[in-house]
Amino acid sequence: MRPDPTATVDDRVLYIISQLVPVQPSQIRAEQRLREDLGMDSVGSMELLSMLAEELDLDIGVEDITEVHTVGATIALAKTFLARKAG
Amino acid sequence: MHRPLRGARLRPLILGAAGFLGLNLVDEFAAQGIAPRCGRRVRTNVLELRRRKVTMVQAELDSPEQLAEACAGVDIVFHLAGHYPRLSLDLPGALEMGLRQLEHVLDAAARAGVRRLIYVSSSATAAPRDSGSPSTEADVFDRVPAFGTYHALKWHMEARALREERLEVVVACPAACLGPWDLRVGTSALLVGTARGLQIPHPDGVVSWVDARDLALGLLRLALHPAPPRRVLFSAGSLRLQPLLEDLARRYGVPAPAWPLSPAEALAFCDAEEFRAARYGGRPALARELADLIIHGVPLDAALARGALGITFRPLSQTLDAFDDWARRVRILPSSKPLEA
Repeated sequence: MRPDPTATVDDRVLYIISQLVPVQPSQIRAEQRLREDLGMDSVGSMELLSMLAEELDLDIGVEDITEVHTVGATIALAKTFLARKAG
Repeated sequence: MHRPLRGARLRPLILGAAGFLGLNLVDEFAAQGIAPRCGRRVRTNVLELRRRKVTMVQAELDSPEQLAEACAGVDIVFHLAGHYPRLSLDLPGALEMGLRQLEHVLDAAARAGVRRLIYVSSSATAAPRDSGSPSTEADVFDRVPAFGTYHALKWHMEARALREERLEVVVACPAACLGPWDLRVGTSALLVGTARGLQIPHPDGVVSWVDARDLALGLLRLALHPAPPRRVLFSAGSLRLQPLLEDLARRYGVPAPAWPLSPAEALAFCDAEEFRAARYGGRPALARELADLIIHGVPLDAALARGALGITFRPLSQTLDAFDDWARRVRILPSSKPLEA
């Protein structure tokens, strides 16, 4: 189920990842690698960033794809951009 | 009689705005001070459209309702989102989807009173000349070319677009597009593979290219032209692939590319790769449509684009430099290795 806007960043990121790979949010772990463990290709990684940018209203660019190799790194990226947005 | 369009009052919709050609077209519009409406699909990478702060509208090509809404109040539609099948294994399926979606776009544009639709096709529809001289807009296959799914699909879609009578349709046929924003590494695949020193099996043949930024300017000029040609080829030049790859290998200081496969070997390799990709996922090492385009490639004469639209095509070196700068920034090419100019 889609988390509401008050859900934690972690839960919202896990939900987005679960939309792109056939894995339930509850089975996704921070240490999992997007490509090797979750089977996401480079197009999927780009989609992940795009969905993240839309869901959290972040100014992410395509060059940030280099930062997202694992689930944990994706969550960290989202938090970094949210902190930057908050000023 | 179609009324001419004026730049300042242009109300354009770009279908496929988030893609390689679309982003270049959005940038060209921005340079001219025009804000296009940008169609997007649900599962689209819109990072760069968001950064450009353009107006986005939902425009699934299978949704006549969304397309109708996207076309409302628009006077020109750029259709850059024609079906491009991931694999070539299902010709009937590709034709069905490509033509159905094109029909939806044409219907929506016609009903909304759009005056001109610019459909971006492919140089795959350029037929060879008996004389061997470069093909022009007059050289069209009189029946569907039996080369592969991509050629057949592009031929059928272009033929359908040109039969449209409810609104003015102009067809742009670009050669292999190179330049910044090829996020999916489509036509740049062999370039990137060679630059990385990978020995990608490939055939030899004539390849033509165009800088995506020049194509974007050409599309804009097609929109503004009072009486544009019906079909325009966009090509900066044509070369044989093998010496081009050898030049690229020297430029990047990597081993020379493998000797080319024969056409039969190349197609067998592509087909095996497609079956592997269909079964296990991932991308074929060499896309079947690229092999078909190389094997059946013809030199192109883009005099019409230069003359009627005033396009000065960039030399290949400038296109490669721009691609290189961009590809290193987004790490499609390793950022650490300096370019050997």
